[in-house]
Order: sequence, then C-alpha cells, then structure tokens
Amino acid sequence: MSNFIDRPRYACALGGAIGTLRAIPRAIPIIHSSAGCGHNLQNAINAGSGYLGGGYCGGLSLPSTNISERDVVFGGEKRLREQIESTLEIMDGDLYIVLTGCMVEMIGDDIDAVVSEFAGCDKPVLAVHTPSFRGNSYVGYELVLNALISKFIPRVHEKTPGTVNVLGIVPAQDVFWQGNLREIKRLLQRLGLNVNTLFGEGETLESIAKAGEAVLNIVVSDVYGIRAARKFEEIHGIPFIAAGFPIGIDASAEFLRAVTQTLGLDSAMTEEVIRQEKAIYYGYMERLADIYNDIDLQRYAIVVGDSNYAPAVSRFLSDQLGWLPQLAVVTDILDETEKSTVAARFHGFESGIEPQVRFDTDTSSVKRYLAESWPRNHNERYFDSMQPAVIVGSVFERDIASEFNVPLLTVSYPVTNRAVLNRAYAGVSGALSLTEDLISVLVAGR
Amino acid sequence: MDYLNAKSAPAREDRLKTNIAFGGTCAQIKGCISAGCFGKNGCLNLAGRRFSQTYGCQFSLSLSTLNTLRKTVIIMHGPVGCGICSIATVGVNQNFKRLRDPNAEGIIWLSTNLDEADVINGGEKKLREAVLYADREFRPETIIVANGCVPALIGDDTDSILADLDTKTAADLAEVHCEGFKTKVMATAYDAVYHTILKKYLKKPDRREYLVEPDLEKLKEQYRISRNVNVLTVSSMSRQDELELQRLLNALGLNVTFLPCFAEPEDFRYSLESSLNVCICGTHDDYFVEHVKAKYGIPFMIDTMPIGRKNTDRWIMKIAEHFGLEKEAKNLIAFENRLLNESLEPFRKALAGKSAFLAGGEVRIIATAEILQDLGMRIAGFKAHHFDQFIEPVFSALENVDDVLMGVATNQPFEQSNLLNRLKPDVFITHTGGNNIAAKHGIPILPLFGPSFNYLGYSGVFEVARRLNRIIKNSQFNRKLSENTSLPFKKSWYEKDPFAYVRMHEI
Repeated sequence: MSNFIDRPRYACALGGAIGTLRAIPRAIPIIHSSAGCGHNLQNAINAGSGYLGGGYCGGLSLPSTNISERDVVFGGEKRLREQIESTLEIMDGDLYIVLTGCMVEMIGDDIDAVVSEFAGCDKPVLAVHTPSFRGNSYVGYELVLNALISKFIPRVHEKTPGTVNVLGIVPAQDVFWQGNLREIKRLLQRLGLNVNTLFGEGETLESIAKAGEAVLNIVVSDVYGIRAARKFEEIHGIPFIAAGFPIGIDASAEFLRAVTQTLGLDSAMTEEVIRQEKAIYYGYMERLADIYNDIDLQRYAIVVGDSNYAPAVSRFLSDQLGWLPQLAVVTDILDETEKSTVAARFHGFESGIEPQVRFDTDTSSVKRYLAESWPRNHNERYFDSMQPAVIVGSVFERDIASEFNVPLLTVSYPVTNRAVLNRAYAGVSGALSLTEDLISVLVAGR
Repeated sequence: MDYLNAKSAPAREDRLKTNIAFGGTCAQIKGCISAGCFGKNGCLNLAGRRFSQTYGCQFSLSLSTLNTLRKTVIIMHGPVGCGICSIATVGVNQNFKRLRDPNAEGIIWLSTNLDEADVINGGEKKLREAVLYADREFRPETIIVANGCVPALIGDDTDSILADLDTKTAADLAEVHCEGFKTKVMATAYDAVYHTILKKYLKKPDRREYLVEPDLEKLKEQYRISRNVNVLTVSSMSRQDELELQRLLNALGLNVTFLPCFAEPEDFRYSLESSLNVCICGTHDDYFVEHVKAKYGIPFMIDTMPIGRKNTDRWIMKIAEHFGLEKEAKNLIAFENRLLNESLEPFRKALAGKSAFLAGGEVRIIATAEILQDLGMRIAGFKAHHFDQFIEPVFSALENVDDVLMGVATNQPFEQSNLLNRLKPDVFITHTGGNNIAAKHGIPILPLFGPSFNYLGYSGVFEVARRLNRIIKNSQFNRKLSENTSLPFKKSWYEKDPFAYVRMHEI
C-alpha cells in the first residue's frame, strides 16, 4: 500500500522505460497509450535530468498510438498494429520496443499478441508492459532490462572470461548516469576486465546483445538493477554482486577489492591499481589543503537523494571531505528489506559520524526532519547552530536552502538548474568533480 | 453557451469541430472556414494519422495554466507519472510568480500515486489524504485536483469526495477534469481549466454594502467599472508582454487586469467588476468569455492576436471601439507606428528576402508571420497545432499567403522534418519541444514564444526583429549538429509526401 507523494522525484514505470531506451542507440520506443504520456514524461526527463534532451528518437519524436476515448471503448489493438507497421516504415532503428501506458493495460489490449505478429521482421519488435501504476521510473528501468534479458539477449553457454556487466545506474534518473558509467567502466578496466555497461559512451545495441557472455553482473546499487541481476542469473546463469554505489577513493577501493575477491583476480594487482588511483586522487586533493584550512571549509551537510546517492554522498562527505552529514533523507519508494539494506550503508563511517537517516518520499518532509535534527534556538544568547551547512540534494531543496540560507548543490533528480553532459560523481574522478563542485559553491563569491 | 451544469467541458472536436490533421495551403484553409467546415458537417474533424508521435494531452496543457495560479496547491490524481512535467518549470515558475508577488511560492503539487491496488480498489482514500495533507501543510487558498485517465476509468467519485472535504479544509477545493484520453485536441485543456474557474473561482467580490447607497459612490463605482478591462493571458506570455499591453491600454485611459495566468484566486472575483473581456488568442478563451457574457453580462472581444504592427493596431482599435475611444486610439497607433517603423529599418536590411517556416499554435504563427512580412521576409510555410474558426481574423494582416503551405499537426516532428527538408527555410520559428529534430536540419531556430521575452505589442515587434537578426548571425551550433548527428527517419520518408500518413477519417 503506497501513499500519495508530495512532489515525487521520479516519473512512472513508463517514464523510466523511456529514459532507459533513450540510452540505447537506435532503439525506437513505440508508446501505446494516450497522446500525453510521452510528452509529459519527456518534459520531466529532459529538464529534470540536467537537459538530457530527446536525443536520437526521444522527445516529441517518440512514436505513440495516441489512443483516445473511442479506442478505450473498442480496444486499441488495431491502432497498435497500424502504428507498429507505420513506425517500421518511417523510423530508422535497430530495435523497436512497444511500451504500454495505463489505459491500454486497463482495457485489456492483448499487446503481446499484436507484437508477436511482427516476429518475422528484419529488426526485432518487443513489448514491455510499463503502465504507470506498476511503479516509478526505477521500476521502468527494471522492466525494460527484464524484457531485454528474457527476450532479446541470446543465451550463451560459454561465457567469456574476464567479461562483466554493470547494472544499477538508471539512465536519466541518475542525472550523471553517463559519466558515472564511464568512470565505473574505467575503474574495472584497470583490473583488466572487459566491461559492458550496456548503456553509455561507446556502448551500442550490440553491447546489450552480448551481455549474455559475461561471467559476473556487478550491480553498483543496493536497490536498482537487483531484479535485473536476478533475472540474468535465472535466464543466463550469470551470478551477481551488489557492490554499492562508490563515491570517493576509499569507496572505490572497497568496490575494486570486492570485485577482485568475487572474480578471484590477483589482489596484488588490484592493490597496485588502488595505489596509483590514490596517488592521482590525492595529487589533486592536495591543492585544496590550503584553502580548506585557510578559511575553514568544513560544513554540516544535509543530503537528500535516492538510494544510490544519499548513502554514497553522505559517506564521501564524512570520510573523505571531513564534513558533518547531519541528516540524510532517502526519497525512494522502498520496501522494508530495501530500507534496511540502504540504512546499513550509513553505519560504520570511518569518521564516527552517524547521520540521522529518514526514508520519506515527500519533499515537504525534508524541512520537518531538518527542524527535528537539531535543537531549536529558544532565543538563547549563545546557541550552537547547525551552521555553516550545505545541502546536497535536488532542485526541490532550493526553497529550504534559501529559507535556511545555506548553499545547495544539486546532484539527485530532478536537476533543472544545471546542464549536465559528461560529468561523473561516481568513483575516483567523480569524487574529484564532486569536491570541485562543492568547494566552488563555497568560494563562488570570492 | 452553457456547459456549466456538465461535469466537464466538452471535447473541442465535438464543440468546435477542431481539426488536427491536414495538409494543404492557406487558401484551402480559408476555404474550409467559408465552406462551414466548422459547422455541423465538421468534414475535417475526424482526421487522424496512420503514424503518430506523442503530443501533449489536456492534462499537461491544463497544468501550464494551473501551475501559474498563485496560492494554490495542485493534486495530480493519477499514477505517479501524471503531471511530472511540472518538474520542467519548477524554477522558472517561481521566478515568474515573483514578478507579480515577491513572496510567491513556486509550484507545489502532490501525486496521489495510484498503484495496482488502487486500480482495483479505487483511489479515493489517497485523494482524501492528499487533500487534507495539502491543506494542513501548505495552507493554500485553493487546492485544485487535476484528474487523470486512471481515476476516470476506475470511476473514482472525486466530485463527492471534494464536496465532502470542502467543509473540513481551510482551502477552497476545485477540480479539473482533464483526462488525457477524453480528447485528441490538446487545446480542450483551456476549456477544462476555464470550466473550473467559472464554477469555483468566479463569484462577486465581498464588498461592503451600503444600507442606502449615496449617489456619488454609486457613480464613482460605475465609472471605475466602465474603465476596467480584463485581458485574458496565455501561459506562453511573458511579464514584459503584459506590461506592453498594459502600457497601450493605459494610454487609452483603461485599467487592465490580467487573467488567468499568474493570477491569485481573489483576482477572479474582481474581474467581474469589468466592462470588457479581451482575448489575446481567440482559440484560447471563447469558452470562458461566452460563459461570462451569458452569466454576468460582460461583453467580450475575440479578434486577432496583438503580435505584429497591423495586428496590434487592429487589436487596440477593436477595444477602443467598444469604449468610443477611436480618436485616441488612432493617435496612439499613429505615434507608435512612426517610432517603431523607423527602428525596424536596420533589421529590414539584414532580413529582407529570407524565408521562414513557422510552427505552433494556429493564431500565434499566423500573427507572428506579420512581423516577418513587415521585415520583408518570405513565409515558406506554416504548421499549426490545430485549426478552427478562430484562425480567420488573423489572416487579414498577411499579404499573398494563399499559396503558402499549411500543415496541421500537433507536434508530429516527422512531418515537420519532411517539410523542413523540402522547403529549406532560412530560419525556423517554432514552439518548444521536438527541437532535437529541427536542430539537426542545421537551420537557426527562434522560439515562437518564451515566457521571459517580449513578443506582443509594438515593443514585441522590435524584440522579435532584433532577436531574429541576432539568431541568423551565427547558426554554427545547429549546423555542426546537423553535420555530425543523424535524424531518426528513414531516407525513404523524405521522398514521400509529407502528409502521406494523414487519414481523413479516423478508424
């Protein structure tokens, strides 16, 4: 039983599916739904994801059956068949995926039957059931992966040693998905692995088709991509590890060690890689030794984000940047097991700091938790306030940041106040970018 | 007109016989109007497409007005995706509201987040909780429930829930029935929103009543009302546009109230103390002004859109005629034209002979074309979101457009891409959205509207000229994109007739 949500930070399953397909070159979505679904979701994906744009076939180019009342009464199958035929005529793609909206699922259109009529086409046509009421964007990501894993990726019995897939970074919903995937790939490649991130720089539809060759799925999340990884295990016999979302040199080192251990790689080589990465990382970080200490750049922090960012950023702030993350709000819709897995990530920080962790989907709740997280000033002459502070969140935190007069860095969806291209926050170079951006916010007036 | 006893506004394909799929020339469109195609026959009314691309539904377009209302919380009653497009305006919306009230809040909305269980059991409980939470947490003046497709299909009785809750909330409750699947004409949204405004917002303001009204007070009151006009705004307008229109009407001695965009609930009440409702865009407001005339006796003016010199002249003149201010208006128009005309000379030199393609709302593109002709530019073609009877008066400011191509399509970048490829205009003036495709044609693009730019009135003509001149100076961004990225349409598509997929009668 879910609740209403005050300003949700994700779209629906259909939205997540559109965002995910946006990341696959030459994949053509065919939306079977009312006219407005694609348009509405595209507006959210484009702006919320740092101006991701429609790309090749996204945005208002999304083919859509645009069913209306008449179809709701008589069924939309005929219209869907016509739309698939005409899409194949006009749109230049390598994979066509029918995505469904609420209406057609509720009226009971037999989408799979219609799509199966196109089984003999040159290019594959698949169907994914993505009605909004099945869940949010993260669910849409899983549903698309599920369809690819079970209907598109060929089964390979002879796995290719040293080949791994990366799951758990949700395109568009992770605003920095492309940069993050690149960085995760770079780190894993340093271990001599052949890395398939499915989406992102250099990956094509061919990469996805080859995903069955991997010996391991590395899920860089405690929540997203886990279902996909299980599906991979079931259908393709590929085991997985849930390694968490690493930000910072220490988290990245742990991540590399976990992969090394799972794959039985040479740990001496891994330690050498970590040593080199550390040298690079601190080579840059050393620059800040002056200003950080000259003007006291330590801050209290409030972190608001999804299950990947909230714990990873909190830990990075605490253990690498030496800040004081006081409060973390995880904004996803999670079940109890997922909550406890994510909550565990906030324990055991090296600094000894224990942020207060709240799971809440409502934007207005952040302010309430912030008020609860620190004693009130009852007009005391000497009051130890939670200042200076920084909020690391989404653009929804802008009001609270201005109310409490603290700077804001937007890292989690929606991010409408920044244009994002290849920036990463994950891994080692991502942590450098994150540090750059955080400190830049603080020195912006100098 | 009286639809107010109905639960929701009728779809425009029924009420106005609006068309959304057509390919021909301006002369043919004009012929449609004179042949009475928007009468009972509605011969183009059921046209559709064998291939279609996504476009806005009345839910998302309703939000473009609802989100601007101040002191209001919106509840998106539907699954979590419905209305999520509000994210795109979360920042600018607050900035624009603050141009009217420095303390205004940004958009606050709640989603009832209907899930699979709600589809079976109904979403009424969540709606109740959401309304009560919104009232307690944000203390708005109004809470508006925007109804999506799912609650309509599962049969949530939202009207009675709100009627019941109205006694439990400090805020006034209102509901907009803007279910996307109910209409193919996105512009039905305007009627859906006005339907709610008419029913819930419009009531006589609370004023102190005199026991015995002194004559002088009564005369003062009558005089005040006799100088008031409401100008009905569209959400694509800017504050600068409002200020320009206000300046012009103030010059005639009229006081202006802008509605409905960026208004606060109270403004609608005072709008009844007015002598004339003035439309900026004919296809936007007829539902509202007709009802107000029928119910409150306030006359209205629907004519052209005040974009371009001749259109602005005509718009001012029509208003002046209502108040018997023709002489003043003529002086104003002559003065404004003299100043503006001189200022356009350098741009005419740079822009004359260049061709432009315009795409977007029917009234807006035809009106904007007047600026281009004023600058000596050539109109290569039009693509209108939809067309209906309100297009007619706007054509009169244009010369020699009978043979100009006119497509009708709500978005549909595939047709647009084919047209751009054929017509190869020097500049493309277009509605937002779909520009990932348009940009790859390598041509400079001027947004057809922009809520932070001035397009309307005389100053708008200068601003559009100035920006066009700037934009064509360097189109390297789009040119380089076109050289290095590809369009998603097969080559064979460009060999086909751009309207090959239009079907005159829907299945």
